[in-house]
Amino acid sequence: MMPILSMIVLIPLIFAALTLFTKTKEQARVIALTGTVIVLLLTVYMYFNFDSTIADNQFEELIPWVPSLGITYHLGVDGIAMPLILLNAIVLPLLVLFTWNDERKSPNKFYAFILATEGAVIGVFTALDFFLFYVFWELTLIPLFFMVSIWGGPNKHNAAIKFFIYTHVASLVMLLGIFGLYFEAWKLTGTPSLDIPTLIAQFQFIESGIAKDMIFLALLFGFIVKIPSFPFHSWLPDAYTEAPTAGSVLFVMLKIGGYGLFKVMLPMLPFTASPNLMITIMAALGSVSVLYGAFLALSQKDLKRMVAYSSVSHMGYVTLGAAGMVSLSVSGAMFQQFSHGLIMSIMFMSCGIINNATGTRIINDLGGLAQKMPKLAVIMVMTFMASLGLPGLSGFIAEVSVLAGSFVNLPSYVMIALLAIVITAAYHLWALQRAMFGVYNKKLGTVADINTFQTFSMGVIAILILYFGLNPSPVLEMMLTNSDQIVSLMAVMGV
Amino acid sequence: MDVMLFAPEITLVLTGLAVLLIGLFIPTDSKKILGYLASIGVLIALLLTVSSLGTEATAFNDTVSIDALSQYFKIVFLVVALLFTIAGIKYTEGNSHTEEFFALGIFGTIGMMFVASANDLMVLFVAFELASLATYALAGFEKQNAKSLEAAMKYFIIGSLSAALMLLGISYVYGATGTTSIPAIAASAGVLASSPMGIVAVVLLVAGFGFKIALVPFHMWAPDTYQGSPSVVSALLAAGSKKMGIVAALKVFVVALIALQAEWQTVFAILAVVTMTYGNVVALKQTSVKRMLAYSSLAQAGYITMAFVVLTPLALGGGIFYALSHGFMKAGAFIATAAVTYMVLSENKDSPDPDHIDNFRGLGKRMPITAVCLTLFVFALAGIPLTAGYMSKFVLFSSTIQSGFVWLAVIAILNSAISLGYYAKIVKYMYFLPTDQEKVSEPFPYTVALIIAAIGVLVIGFWSEPFVYWAMEAAKVLIPGGM
Repeated sequence: MMPILSMIVLIPLIFAALTLFTKTKEQARVIALTGTVIVLLLTVYMYFNFDSTIADNQFEELIPWVPSLGITYHLGVDGIAMPLILLNAIVLPLLVLFTWNDERKSPNKFYAFILATEGAVIGVFTALDFFLFYVFWELTLIPLFFMVSIWGGPNKHNAAIKFFIYTHVASLVMLLGIFGLYFEAWKLTGTPSLDIPTLIAQFQFIESGIAKDMIFLALLFGFIVKIPSFPFHSWLPDAYTEAPTAGSVLFVMLKIGGYGLFKVMLPMLPFTASPNLMITIMAALGSVSVLYGAFLALSQKDLKRMVAYSSVSHMGYVTLGAAGMVSLSVSGAMFQQFSHGLIMSIMFMSCGIINNATGTRIINDLGGLAQKMPKLAVIMVMTFMASLGLPGLSGFIAEVSVLAGSFVNLPSYVMIALLAIVITAAYHLWALQRAMFGVYNKKLGTVADINTFQTFSMGVIAILILYFGLNPSPVLEMMLTNSDQIVSLMAVMGV
Repeated sequence: MDVMLFAPEITLVLTGLAVLLIGLFIPTDSKKILGYLASIGVLIALLLTVSSLGTEATAFNDTVSIDALSQYFKIVFLVVALLFTIAGIKYTEGNSHTEEFFALGIFGTIGMMFVASANDLMVLFVAFELASLATYALAGFEKQNAKSLEAAMKYFIIGSLSAALMLLGISYVYGATGTTSIPAIAASAGVLASSPMGIVAVVLLVAGFGFKIALVPFHMWAPDTYQGSPSVVSALLAAGSKKMGIVAALKVFVVALIALQAEWQTVFAILAVVTMTYGNVVALKQTSVKRMLAYSSLAQAGYITMAFVVLTPLALGGGIFYALSHGFMKAGAFIATAAVTYMVLSENKDSPDPDHIDNFRGLGKRMPITAVCLTLFVFALAGIPLTAGYMSKFVLFSSTIQSGFVWLAVIAILNSAISLGYYAKIVKYMYFLPTDQEKVSEPFPYTVALIIAAIGVLVIGFWSEPFVYWAMEAAKVLIPGGM
């Protein structure tokens, strides 16, 4: 059998290295497009050979690596990982197209970092060994760090360092959790292993309740910061805002925090010493993020910063849905990750385009852009509607599943999150109205609409948002099998 | 006794003598050949050591032993010596004292190797002093440079003091047990534990080794010495002679004085925490890259000291493994600094601080290979995955958690995060701060040394199994029985 998972991880990394050696922008973008398209084709092939009816890992590859420490090269995908790989595989070639005509210094490095991020992120989604998982996890930091600090906005150095140190500390805490799990399982079985399924299975046999809770919280912290959830979100607005447009989109693709929540935390949750406390922590963080992020977004003057804070708000649904612990809420939260990736890509692309065309992102300085940029206006309006949760678009499916699903177990937390819906609608519509509609602000001079490449890439994503809003089942089915399994585990444990 | 057991040492002695002798008869401008000769000699010694892996023997009335531990550390020292001699080819260009430079480096390495083999405290002490004397002289190699002289003086005075403390400690151990043989001391555990002399010995030896390994508060000499010495020599000091202190401390504390474990374990725990924290925090503020690396070296020694606290076979193996990785990373980082210093000085002979971080501005453009290698070394030192530094931290920190010292591991991990602050600063200067200066040609020997070190860092990080295995085998010598 073809080692397809190794291929979708390694091809972007190899193409990243190739891109570094190119001399011109033309060569760099062609190689980047080739690499991302190959990954897309392989992923589509995988998708059609993926069995949505089982919750097990598929396409597995297993090679011993450092046997004396129990480290293996173990890859596999399940219904949690597959949609996220699909998301990355779809958006990345479109992102390359989106930047096709951009002028910037060192395009070879720029495209190399895009490819490297893709390889690292897909690596996290496919790794079934904690060592490998952590390697890819940390690897995502490096290209993004450079992305922000080379091509970022005026405050790029601080934003890059803040992002790097903040999330690196979180990763280290997560590593502590991994170590704890590793040694507790080693004590139980007598053989070292860093295999994720093995360690998760061993977790329930750990005797000490305190050890279990500490391990769980350490891992949770690592994932929560990456999501990011209130109160650990402060790196996000800076990093998202200062990053170049492509960098912001890459940040959005970085769904590894939420992935860890579903893949690692939820299967362990029923076996912690105090599962109800853990659920409360997650639910509280999630619902507060939804509301707090929405309030902060409302008060932003900068369009991109508003979008960044709306991301904090939207990702709160992921944590809340995970804590909801019914199949609908968990799969809804997984779907939110997928949908949010699509929606935010366009939101950040729009911010980038507006900034380039007008030289400002301050909402009040814009006005009437729809008259000059009709194509952008159509796509933006649709995406903003999806983002605020209009039925028929993908955001609605995710949010309604999370809210309706979680209401069963967590009514009070859902009430908090519900308050945010009004605010979310308010800031989206208000921003749209002031920036795009009304009288054209003549101070902006002449602005041109989006070019063909941009129309194509944003258009495809917009169509997908509509498509999955009307027919979510192609991705939702994969998620449902896994969320059913997680939830049934809870039921067995009586949580 | 099989003379072949000491083939690597004999090769080095012959090389050192040949370098000295030939150097007397050739003019300065052809002395470049001495560097090549020295490198070849060290390389042969390295190959001989590697080929004799797995040998176990004792010699000279059991005062010297060859086992997995000594072989392992010999490889560490020879690797560092090889980087030192290769980089030295460029550094000594046009220097009339070239032969002394290489001969001292080689004799120092022989001393380090005998420390690794020592099975008797007297042999250990003599070998230690052989290595120390050679490095004192090397630190002051730039006789015209006041900083170099200051470095050598500080190093010499503090080194002598620590030697005196160590010798006094050894004399107390002898007084209590009546022997200087390490296995015999270990065997008379009862006597040591019940004698007040044992405690005095521990205090003296901790202080003595504390100076050598540069643990806070015995570290005062280290930043000045590393900064003032020629960068190539700093590489030898930080990557080589500090490891000698560690292997000697392993032999003295973990093997000989294991009966007094309870006494010294706590002391090492405190020293480890203080050293890593102080080293990292102070490194954050440095503007001299060599000084920054010196403080980072303190921090790294603090991490390795954790092995003395945890004291499980996995932790000791982790500490030993760390020593090898650190040899590549730290030697590489100092040699990269040497290359930059060389570049700065060749442009402006009177530059007051050639290793100032401002001189690293735009290095990514000016010296791309050096910059890439230095980036790799500092990321490895910070513990970024798939480098030697990450694997070492992985084994060492995780073993700390395994034995229940979670607080210690947490402090170490937080420290590791702080360290990113200053390591990233170097990368930032090299790649993000603009420079209007032109690209320069990178000195060939430095580049070779850097590439060797970079390959080492990557190979150990990526293909760790054999290295971890060797380190674990070496640790079994310290604690028989294994895991």
